[in-house]
Amino acid sequence: MLELRRISKIYNPGTVTELCLFDNFSFKVADGEFVSVVGSNGSGKTSMLNIICGSIPVSGGEVLIDGKNINSLREYKRYRMIGRVYQNPAAGTCPDMTILENMSLADNKGKRYGLSFGVNNSRKNYYKEQLSSLGLGLEDKLDVKLGALSGGQRQAVSLLMATLTPIDFLILDEHTAALDPRTAEIIMELTNKIVKEKKLTAIMVTHNLRYAVEYGTRLVMMDKGNIILDKSGKEKQDVKVEDILDIFNKISIECGN
Amino acid sequence: MLFFATTIDGLQMGLCFAVLALGVYISYSILDFPDLSVDGTFPLGGVVCTILMLKLGIPALPAILLSFFAGLAAGAVTGVLHVKFSISKLLSGIIVMTALLSVTLALTKLLTRTGLTTTIFSFRSENLEGLFSGSASRLLGDANRDYMILIIELIFVIAVKLIIDLFLKTKLGYMVRATGNNEMLVVSLGRDSGTYKILGIALANGFVAMSGALYSNLYSQYDNSSGSGKVVMALASVIIGIAVFSKIKFMGNTTAVILGAVIYSLCLNYLVLVDTNGIYLKLLNAVLFAIILIFNEKTSGFITGRQKAKRGQAKC
Repeated sequence: MLELRRISKIYNPGTVTELCLFDNFSFKVADGEFVSVVGSNGSGKTSMLNIICGSIPVSGGEVLIDGKNINSLREYKRYRMIGRVYQNPAAGTCPDMTILENMSLADNKGKRYGLSFGVNNSRKNYYKEQLSSLGLGLEDKLDVKLGALSGGQRQAVSLLMATLTPIDFLILDEHTAALDPRTAEIIMELTNKIVKEKKLTAIMVTHNLRYAVEYGTRLVMMDKGNIILDKSGKEKQDVKVEDILDIFNKISIECGN
Repeated sequence: MLFFATTIDGLQMGLCFAVLALGVYISYSILDFPDLSVDGTFPLGGVVCTILMLKLGIPALPAILLSFFAGLAAGAVTGVLHVKFSISKLLSGIIVMTALLSVTLALTKLLTRTGLTTTIFSFRSENLEGLFSGSASRLLGDANRDYMILIIELIFVIAVKLIIDLFLKTKLGYMVRATGNNEMLVVSLGRDSGTYKILGIALANGFVAMSGALYSNLYSQYDNSSGSGKVVMALASVIIGIAVFSKIKFMGNTTAVILGAVIYSLCLNYLVLVDTNGIYLKLLNAVLFAIILIFNEKTSGFITGRQKAKRGQAKC
């Protein structure tokens, strides 16, 4: 159970560019939920993810995991229970290291990074198995550097790496936005499969309304730091892309766009 | 004959500076940290080694190895200044380098009280012999001393290279590489990337100090001004090495860096032949470095251009 309780977030406080994004913002995600979050630029989607992960501090309110306040928990410690995939395919992997080395790094999450050999050869087959599930032929490229792969391939490896070890939450930050439509489709299918197989609690921010409607168990729409639509279960299944698009247009008209 | 002697001298210097370059390879190439404290940790290693040998009577080899820890400590200070106090990379290096100027001076004073000449003193007294004037070279006679030096240096450099290679293959080494490559990933793996940065900078300066110790053994004297210009020298070695040699198949980066250091030292020594008065030495040194950087830019530009062309073809 993840909860944001009465969060406020003010950017550049005390300056002319002061911007109050969240004021008394509350949000709850139950275990096992797969939440898709949509909203226009600047609506606070990515800020919300950053607040959950501790990448940016809050101005007020509490971030709770299973009822425990984690406000003072530093970012890197929060990632021990969170896996995150970024919009930029380069963010989740090491470009100068090979696929095998990257997988080994991710596989060791939660354990000691000591002076034993980085690559455990007995795990090689397991990595190959995992990589072949992507269907991209990466299992034969274990010794290729990540930097030499395409954006889609890198994102697929990032996703795999983020979910290789047991985690409680999966955070997907527009992870298909930088990919071509076909690759985005593959990555999205893969995400859905992994979330279901590993029974993860996931929050996915996306600009693709179809993905938001098709995937996930709950749909949330944000605008100016508020949740303006929140549907789950049966209600969520009945939502159509057109409905969401309508709301989007209304908001835009209010803004004068 | 002069040319031959210069070559031998250049090779000896080059192998000595190869250890320095390997250290800077860790900070500059792997961690992406242009570390200026090198100018201070190099003479620090020299003076610590000298004190250990002259004051405590420790044999040369363990003294050189122990000087590693002096560099390690100084490097850790640079790392902590940058990571914990958010001082920029360049400035934290400069602070430590400046502080070390006094530290090495104070340590040198420790030596003068023993009655040796102020800054320059010899290892070649009766019972104090440097690493390079052991019984092995006596066996071969004085004429072969130069070759003996090269062989011992080579063994030393290869040992350092193997240790660094091995370290970079461990889980801890992977994390240090990842920190320089993509800090965000280290954080995503639930670790504090700052720790690995401090560790990497400390290790790098440890090797730099060891090179300084080796240097004072090579010339049988400790020189307080030996630190100046070492950053440039090390960076030039690393950049030449990686630009020229790492493209050769089956050649690791560490080997490339060693060759880079040897080649740069040879070039510097040949410059002395050209400019016998030594007035334009630093200028020529700077020009040489600039040429290397320009050459490096050109080659990398050329290669990315070619890769782009290849990618374009693949898409068609």
